[in-house]
Amino acid sequence: MAINPSSDSLKKVVLVGNPNVGKSVIFRILTGNYVVVSNFPGTTVEVSRGRMQLGGSTYEVVDTPGINSLVPQSEDERVTCEILLREKPDVIVQVADAKNLRRTLLITSQLAEFGIPMVLALNMIDEAEDRGIEIDSGGLSELFSIPAIETIAIYSKGRRQLLSAIQNTTPPQNPILKLYSQDEVIRALDDSFPPALLSIEWLAGNNSDLNRTIEDSFGSDALNHLTEWVQQYRAAGHKHPAKEISGIRNRLLDRTVASYKKKKKSRFLKESENIKKFWFGLLMAGLFLFAFNEFGGLLNLKTPFDFVMEWAGNNLDTIVTGNSLFRSIVLGLNQDGALEFGLLPGFIHFLLFIAPVIIPLGVLISSSRSFAHDMGVFSRRPSTGIPILLGILLLLYEFVGHTGAQTFVGLLENVLFRQHFIPWLQALIPEGFLANLLVGKYGLVSMGVSYAVGIVLPVVATFFITFGLLEDSGYLPRLSILSDRLMRLMGLNGKAILPMVLGFGCVTMATMSTRILSSKRERLIATLLLSLGIPCSAQLGVIMGIAAGFTIKATLVIIGVVASQLLLVGYLSTLLIRGKPSEFIFEIPPIRMPQIKNVALKTLFRIKWYLKEAVPLFLAGTLILFVMDSIRVYGMSLLVWLQKGLEPVLEGLLHLPAEAAGIFLLGFLRRDYGAAGLYELARNGMLTGQQVVVSLIVITLFVPCLATFLMIIKEQGWKRALAITGFIVPFAVSVGTIVGWILRTFGIHFN
Amino acid sequence: MENKTTEEIAEVLEAVWTLQEQGNATVDEVIHSAKTTVSDELLKKLRNEGFLSVNTAGQIRLLEKGKTAAEKIIRRHRLAERLLCDVLAYHVDESEAAACEYEHLLAEGITNSICTLLGHPRYCPHNKPIPEGDCCRQASRALTPIVIPCDQLQVGESAKIAYFSTKEHSRLLKLSALGISPGVTLKLIQKWPACVVQCEETEIAFEPEVAHNIYVWQTPKE
Repeated sequence: MAINPSSDSLKKVVLVGNPNVGKSVIFRILTGNYVVVSNFPGTTVEVSRGRMQLGGSTYEVVDTPGINSLVPQSEDERVTCEILLREKPDVIVQVADAKNLRRTLLITSQLAEFGIPMVLALNMIDEAEDRGIEIDSGGLSELFSIPAIETIAIYSKGRRQLLSAIQNTTPPQNPILKLYSQDEVIRALDDSFPPALLSIEWLAGNNSDLNRTIEDSFGSDALNHLTEWVQQYRAAGHKHPAKEISGIRNRLLDRTVASYKKKKKSRFLKESENIKKFWFGLLMAGLFLFAFNEFGGLLNLKTPFDFVMEWAGNNLDTIVTGNSLFRSIVLGLNQDGALEFGLLPGFIHFLLFIAPVIIPLGVLISSSRSFAHDMGVFSRRPSTGIPILLGILLLLYEFVGHTGAQTFVGLLENVLFRQHFIPWLQALIPEGFLANLLVGKYGLVSMGVSYAVGIVLPVVATFFITFGLLEDSGYLPRLSILSDRLMRLMGLNGKAILPMVLGFGCVTMATMSTRILSSKRERLIATLLLSLGIPCSAQLGVIMGIAAGFTIKATLVIIGVVASQLLLVGYLSTLLIRGKPSEFIFEIPPIRMPQIKNVALKTLFRIKWYLKEAVPLFLAGTLILFVMDSIRVYGMSLLVWLQKGLEPVLEGLLHLPAEAAGIFLLGFLRRDYGAAGLYELARNGMLTGQQVVVSLIVITLFVPCLATFLMIIKEQGWKRALAITGFIVPFAVSVGTIVGWILRTFGIHFN
Repeated sequence: MENKTTEEIAEVLEAVWTLQEQGNATVDEVIHSAKTTVSDELLKKLRNEGFLSVNTAGQIRLLEKGKTAAEKIIRRHRLAERLLCDVLAYHVDESEAAACEYEHLLAEGITNSICTLLGHPRYCPHNKPIPEGDCCRQASRALTPIVIPCDQLQVGESAKIAYFSTKEHSRLLKLSALGISPGVTLKLIQKWPACVVQCEETEIAFEPEVAHNIYVWQTPKE
């Protein structure tokens, strides 16, 4: 991680603290800059910098990754240490989770040794209070002689006090030196080395990177001097001083926590039982309605949703009048004139499926700490956690698959692009090269933009909203617990569930997030599995769209084959790529009500990232197809030649029509793009059920999209990127061939 | 010289005990497996002092005096193995040699303390039974092994951490940074699919293997 010290004229504030305590939220409050925050430890993987104006001077604010100790064990901890040593900040703001005082004070006692003015922000003080924890912040403030400010960062509570504290704070005192001055190691201490106790512990850690930083900051004399001191001390028959110091620290922590933290008996105060019961009743009713709508059809029952839609179909036609664009936006009439994807049917769907569950759930989680706590417990136990997971997946499917892939895709792609924008452009541009380039068969607008914006964007956006909600609610770490055993089969551990779930949104983004995994081996396996078999949401939406035209059997076969291949490859890679899974030690944050503003900001941030990354690739892909379609060699376009070349593979092995060649080519540019092409083929009735299943399996397992490929090069190096691709392509084709053969031999049909 | 003989006697008694566990002990086998040179003189001394008897077929039988002495030696040896494996995270194979040294060094009181610390284990790492001591007999009445791995706690039980048995420094630091260190009280709140403990107001999940490395003082049940 690169650290760029910037100009020295600025005053510098560094935010330091345990993971998941709200450093990034405080960063946002101070600077107004947006950085991705979530209820998931370790979200900040890079150091963010921003500016703030305070009392007439400009400050540079640095947000650091979460650390648990300043004796570095992880990359994050080393980075934070280096920032403190190299950049010599003017003020340190330690952000703390008020309810975990012991862990907080470990860092406070270490920071105190730098002698840099500091402020302690006791954040999330409301959660501590709810648990009946009282903290004597005045006492803490006196002990370390630093301001201790109680804050609730997400509501900007305590902001003013924090700002004035940053301006007025002075260097802290180290209570260890005062309280334990009679201890052998403290008496022997030589104060010529700046953060004295800490540097002894650093030395014991024997971290060569850090040692270099210490040399750079204090000179090699200091390091030698310290080494000598440690040797002398040990020669006098003592234990390693680092051990004694960490013992003293523990004593300080015990003593401080005992005197400044009081715990009242009752947990979860100020809750109204009746209101909770009321909303809980609503939630149960909502779940019942959801289940009825979801599964009523299987029992041949007419669901409330069917009933409302039928009524709307019969009556709205006459109520909603006006021009055809307005009518198609509101009603989303399909070719047969029935309601399908308009705003109104979408709204009815949302109101009858999602809202009845989500609204009471949200109210309960935000108003009742005990409910949130219970949800946290239930979602991590397999007996209750698996049903909860299935419920969440169904809700996700309804929101992404229906609201996103049906309503918004219908509005944007079907109504806006296909019915209005493209015909309008076609009429505007005179026939010729330009018309072909923009709105022809492989036109930049008619194909590139309308796929990117019309099909993919709505699906990705709705997925990112859901993912943001899940992330901020604190649900995902619980999913890590549930999935730990399964992940272990594939040489990973529960922590890897985050990139995997994110992969269902965007594999490229997920590949980047494999950084949170602790070993190189795990990052490699996770990257391989992501590019092999995790379909991104756009692709998933298209797959669901195609599969919906066939039976549920087709979907199950596809999911079954892809999942079993993931497990197989994961298992094989544990045998081939040597090493043990890294250990799974993981903090579980409390279940919290996601902040709508934060989820919205995060979604926008991700969509922006997606547009910047995807649209150029879509356009490039379309352009390549356009060029290949236009250039003629011996009377045939390059595209046809390519199709001819791929024919043995496609027709011979996979038994697919030759048209699929272009699609697999597109599939490399973006997998979902390829899937969208399949969607077209299927919609035009050019594929049989068996062919749909085979081609969807192949395209799901097929090479990662170009963007993912580039990301793999960035994260793993080009050799591994090529190796991964070189394995996946033949593997996908083989699996497709075998599945196709089985389907044909046993006469399994899906029509 | 006196010490050396005591050690030799101990080794012979240990060999006889171990062979008897497997079946029976003959002079030849004892000579073969004892970790000392078993001279006729030594055997004669043992017979004369009433430790053991040898019949005409060369079979050795421990007499009451020999049994008591051998039981203590075996107990020290196997407890030492447990201590090395569980607490100091030695490998089972490494523990053998070191345990041989310990068996001659440990005093009775210390042996019982170690036995209590380890929770009165019944078997050594090689799965051979550890003879009971006074401390075990007292404890088995109260049914409270004192120090147990935290995955043996009941869900919902709280206990104070006694020590970690792992050699992996990074694991120790990771745990202690999350607030899990000796002296801290934790509460086990879930065992499967991963262990979850609560420490202060934080819930921490880890794999069962890590839980097995965390030894806690069990609060005696009433």
